[in-house]
Amino acid sequence: MARRSKTCLVVDDSKMIRRVACRILREMQFEPVEAGNGQEAMDMCEAHMPDAILLDWNMPVMDGLSFLKALRGQPGGDKPVVLFCTAERDVVKISEALDAGADEYIMKPFDSDILVSKFALVGLDINAPDRQAALR
Amino acid sequence: MSDVLSLKPAYYEALKRLTLELAGIKLGADHTFLVETRLAALARKEGFEDLGQMIDELFSRGETRLAIHVVTALLQRATAFFEDRAGFELLGDVVLPTLHPLYRGGVVKILSYGCSSGQEIYSAAILVDKMSHVFPDLAFEFIGVDYPSDALERAKAGRFTHFEVQRGLPIKHLISYFERDGEDWVVKPDLRKRIKFIDHNLLADISPLSTYQVVMYRNHLSQLAGPARVRMMRILDRLVSTHGVLMLGSTESLGKMCYGFDETMLAPGCYQKRARQDSPVSEQSG
Repeated sequence: MARRSKTCLVVDDSKMIRRVACRILREMQFEPVEAGNGQEAMDMCEAHMPDAILLDWNMPVMDGLSFLKALRGQPGGDKPVVLFCTAERDVVKISEALDAGADEYIMKPFDSDILVSKFALVGLDINAPDRQAALR
Repeated sequence: MSDVLSLKPAYYEALKRLTLELAGIKLGADHTFLVETRLAALARKEGFEDLGQMIDELFSRGETRLAIHVVTALLQRATAFFEDRAGFELLGDVVLPTLHPLYRGGVVKILSYGCSSGQEIYSAAILVDKMSHVFPDLAFEFIGVDYPSDALERAKAGRFTHFEVQRGLPIKHLISYFERDGEDWVVKPDLRKRIKFIDHNLLADISPLSTYQVVMYRNHLSQLAGPARVRMMRILDRLVSTHGVLMLGSTESLGKMCYGFDETMLAPGCYQKRARQDSPVSEQSG
């Protein structure tokens, strides 16, 4: 029986970042879905909670931190693994994200090695061999 | 780009011999491009007009310092924090608990042999710091040893790029043990001062070094050519203290020649030094 792909919601107001992240996530055998801001992401989570969320900080309508705080208060909102993915590098900001319930934190710019490494740190490296094959 | 792919075949053969002699590693015939790009960068840094001039200088004058820099530039590899994560789990879950009753009240010295830019030994120090409550009666020393190189200088400075600190290092460890300095991240002084780095030819006489309770030589052994591998095993045999542990990569093994180590692995890639010195290889030979 085929293993169900894990879903990863990519939340970023930059279409280019979403495209790059989704390409890498597909190579990692994730099934990516996209949202352009926190409110859109919240609506999608209410319809279907993803396994993982790659979350930008600064976005219009609802920013990443507000989204994360709201998500963690929702029924089932503790389940998705949340990785912030942002240009914010200040230690105070990083601590704020972790306090709000982020599992990991990626500082932009990033590459595929960083994404793979960070997903491995939160226990989502199950398809690493497949990804290696895809990249060869 | 035109002067990058300019190395004469005779020079490439000479570089292969040099690398084998100094580091015990056999370069493949297909490494030409890697060799030329890395050495072209070194040539610029060393103030030569081009790669050819540097290689001429190297083989006409035989300057040892330049030879070592050439070889380390060729062999430099990208490393990551907590690389081969299973090995660090073994260090915390198996190796240190095995050594704890033997060294209670004493010092456990952890050596990263071939430490490159230092991620391995910094990772070990972070792991031990996180577990300090488990081993309150043990003191630890951390030592990184490698050929003199830019990578080793960066290890000494504890300075890592934005990309390097995001490979393998959990974000909580980053903000606990590093501080930002412009685009880079630098190991905080409290951790950095606990680690000593030593410039040393890994295949040379080890009398300047000590013996260590844990020697990490992970994922290097399989790269060595036959005679260098034998020589390295003699060196590792002497570096690991009695009852100490040699950590190879989790998929590496000593094979049939166990030298001074137990034949049964403590864990994948981990060998404990026998209490009795019954290595089949003479300590004085080679």
